[in-house]
Amino acid sequence: MADSATERRRSGSVAETAGPAAGGEASGGETSPGRGSSPGNGTPPDAAAGARSALRRSRRLRLALQAGVLVVVLLAWWLVTAVQLVPPLYLPSPGAVWHAFVQANTCRPIAEGLSRTVCGEQNYYLWEHLVASLQRIGVGVGAAIVLGLVAGFLLGSSRWLQVAFEPYLNFLRALPPLGYIGLLIVWLGIGDTSKFVLLFLAAFPPIVIATIQGVAGVSEDRVNAARALGASRGQIARFVVLPSSLPNIFSGVRIAAGFAWTTVVAAELNNGIPGIGGLAYLSGTQLNTPLTIACIITIGLVAVALDAIIVRLGRLLVPWQGKA
Amino acid sequence: MPRTTPLPWRRALAAAVVLGTAVVATGCVESGRTVHPDAVQAVPECPVDPDPSIETTARIAWQAIPNGDLVVKDLQMLETCMPNADISWSKFDSGGDVVQAFGAGSVDVGLVGSSPAVRAVSPPLDIDLRITWIQDVIGAAESLIVRDDSITSLRGLEGKRVAVPFGSTAHYSLLSALREAGIDGSVDLINLSPDKMLAAWQRGEIDAAWVWDPTLSELKDSGQVILTSADTAASGHPTFDMSAAPADFVAQNPDFMRMWTAVQDDAAQRLAGGDDAAIESVAVQLGVSPDVVRSQTEGLTYLSAREQAGPEYFGGALGEVLEDTSGFLLDVRETDGVAPAETYLQMPYPDAIEEVAAR
Repeated sequence: MADSATERRRSGSVAETAGPAAGGEASGGETSPGRGSSPGNGTPPDAAAGARSALRRSRRLRLALQAGVLVVVLLAWWLVTAVQLVPPLYLPSPGAVWHAFVQANTCRPIAEGLSRTVCGEQNYYLWEHLVASLQRIGVGVGAAIVLGLVAGFLLGSSRWLQVAFEPYLNFLRALPPLGYIGLLIVWLGIGDTSKFVLLFLAAFPPIVIATIQGVAGVSEDRVNAARALGASRGQIARFVVLPSSLPNIFSGVRIAAGFAWTTVVAAELNNGIPGIGGLAYLSGTQLNTPLTIACIITIGLVAVALDAIIVRLGRLLVPWQGKA
Repeated sequence: MPRTTPLPWRRALAAAVVLGTAVVATGCVESGRTVHPDAVQAVPECPVDPDPSIETTARIAWQAIPNGDLVVKDLQMLETCMPNADISWSKFDSGGDVVQAFGAGSVDVGLVGSSPAVRAVSPPLDIDLRITWIQDVIGAAESLIVRDDSITSLRGLEGKRVAVPFGSTAHYSLLSALREAGIDGSVDLINLSPDKMLAAWQRGEIDAAWVWDPTLSELKDSGQVILTSADTAASGHPTFDMSAAPADFVAQNPDFMRMWTAVQDDAAQRLAGGDDAAIESVAVQLGVSPDVVRSQTEGLTYLSAREQAGPEYFGGALGEVLEDTSGFLLDVRETDGVAPAETYLQMPYPDAIEEVAAR
């Protein structure tokens, strides 16, 4: 705990310094407890200890607040369903959703006293649906990171390339995935390829744009200093430009991963089993709303967790951020 | 320079490796699974004498509709009766998807409604399909349900708004009924998929719907059924769920088709007789309780090979029903045109059914 707090203080959060690209879309979820309390090296030990305990207190307060809100929301949900304000088909009770979640992860006899069982939903456990979606996102976003970095570096280091291709990038970024999934199916079939490509297309532009910003934002002085010390072009790219643009790249990856989650249901509308987006959609068409809500909550929680992992990874990789 | 702080890099790398292996280790969830490996399965059985000489490769498209196909699949009848054949099952969500797969040549036998089947052989698709079996005759499973209690007959729907999924068997039944009553011009039809109907119904945006389960059951709470597909079938416009296969597959694999028909015949007879084990098989395949399946099967009629070979179906009238359906599909703009009459008249493939019926 203490270690992570120090880590946080040292590096700041990616969102804070992410630049304009991260501002609107990716600010959710990340709060920095260390904000405002940054004891430098010269702080006396007493003051440092005081700051630490203040930090602990504020962290406890934060947790209590978040837990409180969660309890209130759950209570309100339970109350609305308990007094039958809305039909259970529209809003099932928390208990029904939990039951759907458990049932989707276990085997059950189809009726009491019968030996035959069915397992999960659509012959996959819920976690298997989730893993299938994660694999698709992994492939799509992974390819977007690799190609996006290359494209971003190229565009970022050449003004003319940037002038030539940036409009297309913005065009691609503005397209809603649901609009062109039909086209991808005609081109690539209903298999996994069209899903990979859709997720790639969703994740690619934010990464490229963030990388361009990162590369363009490297201070001239640093480049010149390295050059004055005799660094080659490759060395400058590897030791100056890449580290300096990493914070931007990470915020780009964060946005891309978030966008991939919003795209995954569109990707899995057709032939999306196994896949948690496909299951959410299919259960909706079958009026199995408890399962739909269970899927949505799972998607939300996993997306938040994934985002936290990316933030964490960013801190590990860019420990110098906020210090220079 | 990063060289001076190697630790975070290494830690990050370790984290990435752990994360990656976690996904890979739990991962590789294969797609297209039709039975969960953890589930307790039925004992495979073959209702007739197995024939090891059949070595056909058959890719079968199935849908979650309570009929004999699910019994055949659940009891692994095809696999047991033809131990040397290569059978694979893929699930499809609608007849339209199966037709698409037929067009792409990726399915050999598939379950489709009569409307999608006819659409497949009509322009612009022009897929040469044969109907090999009637899985069920649709009865009360698809029904016309109205919100207003005071409407008790079709005539009461004049000037009202009726929802139906366009191009479906329910659409065909609805149009046939309206034409019969002579009011097909004065009813407002809107295209709505079943899952969207409930909300429109609750808001009063539609006055009636011709639909199937689970939406039909939900609507029954606040509406009443005034007509079913059994009624339109009785007046000469039946709708079916049927199995279809490309003409050349049928021609090249007569032995396979005979065995396939024999096990379908057995499954249909079990369902028609309300056999508990058969109901249980369907329930397992659909993932619902046997009681639900039992009530669903009451809205469908299952025909044995002997019944199907009769003049009402493969013995004569089926081709004409299909031709009639093609005219309907053209009227509602689901097809670009109508193929020559003989295209539809030659669709039924009676050979295997007659052989099985003669046993």
